[in-house]
Amino acid sequence: MDNVQKSRKRGFLFYISIYRKILVQDLKTRMSYRSDFIISTLGMIMTDLSGFVTFMILFHNFPAINGWDYHHMLFLYGFSLIALTPVQCFFDNNWNLRFMVRSGDFIKYCFRPINVFFYFISEVFDVKGIGQFIFGMGTFIYAWNHIGIPVTFVTVVRAVLFLSTASLFMIAIMNAAAATCFWIINSGYVMVIMFRFKDFAKYPASIFNRVFRFIFTFLIPIAFVAYYPSLVFVTPDHVPLLSWLSPFIGVLFFYLSYRFWMLGVRRYDFTGS
Amino acid sequence: MKNVKKLTALTRAGIMESLQFRLGTAVTLFANLIYLALVYFLWKAIYESAGTDTVNGMTFYDTMIYLILATAVFNLLEMFIVWDMSRAIQSGEIIMHLLKPMKYRLYTFWSYSGSYVVSFFLTFIPTFLVVMLVTHGAVPVGMNLIYFALSLILALVINFNIEMLVAPVCLYTESTWGINIVKETVVLLLSGASIPLAFFPEGLRRAVDYMPFRAVYDIPLTILLKKNGSDTPEGLLSLLGLQLIWCIVLTLAGNLFWNYAVKRITVNGG
Repeated sequence: MDNVQKSRKRGFLFYISIYRKILVQDLKTRMSYRSDFIISTLGMIMTDLSGFVTFMILFHNFPAINGWDYHHMLFLYGFSLIALTPVQCFFDNNWNLRFMVRSGDFIKYCFRPINVFFYFISEVFDVKGIGQFIFGMGTFIYAWNHIGIPVTFVTVVRAVLFLSTASLFMIAIMNAAAATCFWIINSGYVMVIMFRFKDFAKYPASIFNRVFRFIFTFLIPIAFVAYYPSLVFVTPDHVPLLSWLSPFIGVLFFYLSYRFWMLGVRRYDFTGS
Repeated sequence: MKNVKKLTALTRAGIMESLQFRLGTAVTLFANLIYLALVYFLWKAIYESAGTDTVNGMTFYDTMIYLILATAVFNLLEMFIVWDMSRAIQSGEIIMHLLKPMKYRLYTFWSYSGSYVVSFFLTFIPTFLVVMLVTHGAVPVGMNLIYFALSLILALVINFNIEMLVAPVCLYTESTWGINIVKETVVLLLSGASIPLAFFPEGLRRAVDYMPFRAVYDIPLTILLKKNGSDTPEGLLSLLGLQLIWCIVLTLAGNLFWNYAVKRITVNGG
């Protein structure tokens, strides 16, 4: 109880310095597997490239998707790739959570005088996400130029703000999906399913009917990863309210997923395995 | 006779194992339905903006049936050999497999056969029936079903051999995730599982025709839908023949590579 009290008082700077230390350790161990780094980065770029090729083939046969032409679709694709980078780089350890919980190794995270979620997540930094970020940036800037969005102080600040908050949605989804393992044994499939749904982040949510649009806006917020925030840039004249609100909704979803994750940790303590 | 019994025992064990996680199977089944609905909305929007009903010889229904059944075949064929093998190598468990009085490749194939049986009846057949209902019988029913089954078995063997060709690469590097994702991306894109091969531009199409990936998804589905002249005996035979050739080539290549790579296994302790 004493520890919990103390950790609450610890400031942002303290956590940043800890993160840096853990990150350096992780990178050192990674560097000893250099071929793994190269192949994984290559694999990451291959997946992004194959998504790109799929677009090329689609637009070779069809002029548009629901009024979104080639460059607008590329804008969405680039946007989604950038917004999906943080979950890949910083939150990859969620994939190991179920093994840790099952084997009992997870208990080590509960004995540190820092936030359990922070400590667990900070342990892995996934380098291969950087390849995706670079590919996404290239696509995003290319599409931005071709659509002819003006480059002003306001649009650039908006881009940074909306991209960074859009990334919170996928983080929230994966946090919640990973945390199911505190209740269900072998819940890896929940993560796999959610990870598959992200394939649809790169398409306009307007193609769905009302029920599915509701599900993918408020329950599994895939539509917020790229569609709603990009409307701010693509159709600046009539932006729906949800697009303007998306940064706040992102923070809310992230907070909820964090609470859910921590609820699981509490439960884990109680079973005492 | 004793041999067959040995193999069916593995099949039975596999069936029991995959029926163990019923909740997982049910949730995955449900998620697959939602995923298919998403695919439906996407292609409906795509066809609506095209303005014509038929694009490159494919109607909206053709595309839907093709993609839905491709997903079903994907679920059926999904194997985790790359992961299994790298885990077995890292833990040293691979030694136990190699000591078994049975060829490792044969053992792996037959221990997967149980999950094939389960997912054929639990995913493939229901998906197929749903497709039949929704499209009001747009899938032709006749001898093509039998040819399709035959082609599917060949596809299964080809897919297994692609996996077994990729998996031993784990012996050379520690990059399981990377190798697996490269394999998956290449197979899904070039086999027509994510976008039907009929939409590929001419040059790419011709290149893909010379690759084995097409034999995994495109050929069985083409035969089922009676496209590309597969309703004539010559067309059918050339497609099945192509599959058979890839089957033999990949089995030989897989055997050679495995026999070569297995000598490199080093297990620390274990």
